[in-house]
Amino acid sequence: MTDRVTAPERARPMTEEEESRQSVLSHLRHGRTHEAVHAARMLLEQQPGRRTHRFLRDVVAATGALGSGLKHLKVALLSSFSIEFVHDSLVALSLLGGMRLEIYQSGFGTFRQELLDARSALYAWSPDVVVLAVEGEDWIPAAFSGYMDVAEGHFEKISSGFDAELSNLITAFRAQSAAPLLIHNLAFPGWRKLGILDPKLPHGQGRIINELNDALSAVARGATDVHVVDYAALVNRYGAVNWYDERMKHYAKAPIASPMQPHLSAEYIKYFSAFAALTKKCLVLDLDNALWGGVVGEDGMDGIQLGPNYPGSAFVAFQRFVLDLHRRGVILAIASKNNPADVDEVFSGHAFMVLKRQHFASLQIHWEPKSQSLVRIAQELSIGLEHMVFVDDNPVECDEIRRALPMVRVIQLPPQPERYVRVLEEAALFDTLSLSAEDRRRGELYRQRAKAEVARLSLTSVEDYYRDLAMDITIAPIDHVSMVRAAQLTQKTNQFNVTTRRYSEGEMAQRMIDPEWTTATIGVRDKFGDNGIVGIIMARENGESLDVDTFLLSCRVIGRTVETAMLAHICDEGRRRGLKAVTAGVIPSQKNAPARDVFERHGFAKLSEDDSGATSWRIELEAGGIEWPTWFRRLS
Amino acid sequence: MSDDVEQRIQQIMADILHLEPQQISEQTAMDNTEAWDSANHISIVLALEDEFSISFDVVEIEAMTSYFDVVQAVAARI
Repeated sequence: MTDRVTAPERARPMTEEEESRQSVLSHLRHGRTHEAVHAARMLLEQQPGRRTHRFLRDVVAATGALGSGLKHLKVALLSSFSIEFVHDSLVALSLLGGMRLEIYQSGFGTFRQELLDARSALYAWSPDVVVLAVEGEDWIPAAFSGYMDVAEGHFEKISSGFDAELSNLITAFRAQSAAPLLIHNLAFPGWRKLGILDPKLPHGQGRIINELNDALSAVARGATDVHVVDYAALVNRYGAVNWYDERMKHYAKAPIASPMQPHLSAEYIKYFSAFAALTKKCLVLDLDNALWGGVVGEDGMDGIQLGPNYPGSAFVAFQRFVLDLHRRGVILAIASKNNPADVDEVFSGHAFMVLKRQHFASLQIHWEPKSQSLVRIAQELSIGLEHMVFVDDNPVECDEIRRALPMVRVIQLPPQPERYVRVLEEAALFDTLSLSAEDRRRGELYRQRAKAEVARLSLTSVEDYYRDLAMDITIAPIDHVSMVRAAQLTQKTNQFNVTTRRYSEGEMAQRMIDPEWTTATIGVRDKFGDNGIVGIIMARENGESLDVDTFLLSCRVIGRTVETAMLAHICDEGRRRGLKAVTAGVIPSQKNAPARDVFERHGFAKLSEDDSGATSWRIELEAGGIEWPTWFRRLS
Repeated sequence: MSDDVEQRIQQIMADILHLEPQQISEQTAMDNTEAWDSANHISIVLALEDEFSISFDVVEIEAMTSYFDVVQAVAARI
């Protein structure tokens, strides 16, 4: 096959298709992975369908290890039917996802033996992923073709052994393999045996299949790295009537209709991408004709299409979809050629904007090339360009990104806004295997990080960075209002905490009124907002020195010299009391490494160190103590 | 039957059977082409259906055992 594709002597000029094929092969051979993937995508757009899938599968097989930029994944397919006709699209579409698939195919109907036999060929092949694709008909016939054979009173038996068998198969599998296991759930038949009566029955066919699927989900939840392929939802999406080919089911034991097979492949690939850490993280959006219709710079805020009626409603729906992605942990950014003031007006003043400014971690709104915008976004957010998706309606912009940044996934929006959501859904770029509370907030966390990073990038020295943060610091004695937060900080702060002494509100209250004690809360506000109370100081007059008992700082503001300001304040307080020195101790904990050198860094002399590593420190106030950093503005 | 249709059939069969399109002739048949086994037969049928947006009955599928038969079967459907 290799020779055929590259055969140099051709009587006739190459067709467009042949050129595209040639391009895929040549890019792959030269290790230009991103270009190869793009060429393959173009080829499939030109010539969709089985023969292109077959060609791409052969190319992947022929170039083998040469496609070193592709993630290699060994996938074993176990099934109750002839699933091998899916191989072409599975390998081809995996190539489009940046993966080189190798497939192990078990004989149909042998899935139990393969899983249960420790010496099976499946285990000898040591797969990276195993897919168990069993049609409900083949697994639990009594819920499908044999439903009418079940006698009244015996319906419970249909599902009774199912979860036990599943658990058994999974246990046997886990004893031999640590690979992720994907298990199909059961699709619903297009027609119920009892017709319109079914949904009302306590043991209707639909209800029984639901119960079987619930049992499967429960077993998967309780097992390690076992995932449910929502085959029922997949078949439902395209319709059972389209999904199945009765002819091929009977003639070739291949029930899934040919045009549907790529959809099944695409569903598997969502998992493969997640396993191979190829899931995208950041969605970079255009504005005009992407988030709204029209051009805000020309049409004005009142002229853009965004609202309850077509086409505005389609843009609202798309924004809603993007917002939901954000809530799944996808980081959003904007790359738009626009006047920032026009965009500001829409964000702050348009009644139908679903997406707000705060949903975006980075906004690149200017007239420079969008490739530069993407590079900046990648820097600000510390995200690899290969984890970014660029969405734009303009073919010129899309092309510019493809050329300049081939690792970025480019999605060109179609002319019809009502198709936007589906285009992104079908691209299936953001699927993850789990969703934590942290994921739901990730967009927000990145936005904060980006803000600080922007400041850092644009400044030449670290002092400029501190100055540019425009930090206001407020140091005040602990009082009845701040006491709650102060106690809470002593309870919760582990990292920048020199002694890790925990105090209750009651203990705080005592010290507040004891003249021997100096207490303070430290509040920091910067140009990005108010951080609230971030630090606590408690020190006690002890002979001729002021002895620091508690010195802690929230990790939110570590690395901004707030601790220097706090020490300067303690020295001021010592002087005010007419003392000679400030003394302090450090008690090492498992987590307080960031705080341990704070006194040493600020010129304290070490007095002692005991066996546990606890140290004590002293600085003379007559010799000058500690200077206030000049970049803080002190408020009281 | 246009040349274009024949070329497309040749290309499909060549891709699946791992041959040059020029190697597909009227003599090419299941019983003299090793790669043309029953699984590849189904693959050829599915690819043809996909390519020409047609659908064959099982009797037709079973009857197309040579390139000549394939061309006839496609021609009868398009």
